[in-house]
Amino acid sequence: MTKEAGRGTGGSEPIRKRAAPLLLLAAWLVPGVGHWILGKRRRAIVFFAIVVCAFVTGVVIDGELGTPRPGEPFSWLATLACLGNGLLYLGRLAWINGLSGALGGIPFGLDGGGDPVAVGFTYGNTFLYTGGLMNLLLVLDVSDIARGEKD
Amino acid sequence: MVDHLLLMLWHALLVSVFFAFLWRRSTRDRLRLFGKAFALMAVGSVVLGWLMYVVP
Repeated sequence: MTKEAGRGTGGSEPIRKRAAPLLLLAAWLVPGVGHWILGKRRRAIVFFAIVVCAFVTGVVIDGELGTPRPGEPFSWLATLACLGNGLLYLGRLAWINGLSGALGGIPFGLDGGGDPVAVGFTYGNTFLYTGGLMNLLLVLDVSDIARGEKD
Repeated sequence: MVDHLLLMLWHALLVSVFFAFLWRRSTRDRLRLFGKAFALMAVGSVVLGWLMYVVP
């Protein structure tokens, strides 16, 4: 799943490798899939369960998915964090807005769901952000493993 | 039903298990990191919460 992209001179210089983009894409879209493909099956199952649990908890207690809002720069950070959830994020957006609404609402017309007056709103947001950020860390981990820098 | 303490503990549990599996390879090391991280987040949050009473 890796390919060499370096300019090794054949001496003591280590050969630099680059993780396959499709592998990283898969790792982002579905939490744990990158580890599964690389043969780290146990870790893959645990990571999948953790990210999905965080995301589902966030949705169930009325958290709001981060979506860009005009004049609110921090909303872009929230969007980036939530986007880390991959297909979970995209699927939830499509669920809330409808597929055509989600595609037509980019970037400022998207509804992130949630209920701002609900008791669990801010907690839910935290779970959604955390799930996405954990999955982004998993993508980096997959990259490291694919390049042979970690086992 | 939303219980703030339970949600905090649930969050701490998920994050602790995540980093235990991300950063450690042996079961023993994972358990140690999980224990430390979970205790730090759970106990630390409660302590910080109480300390905030004295902050105006």
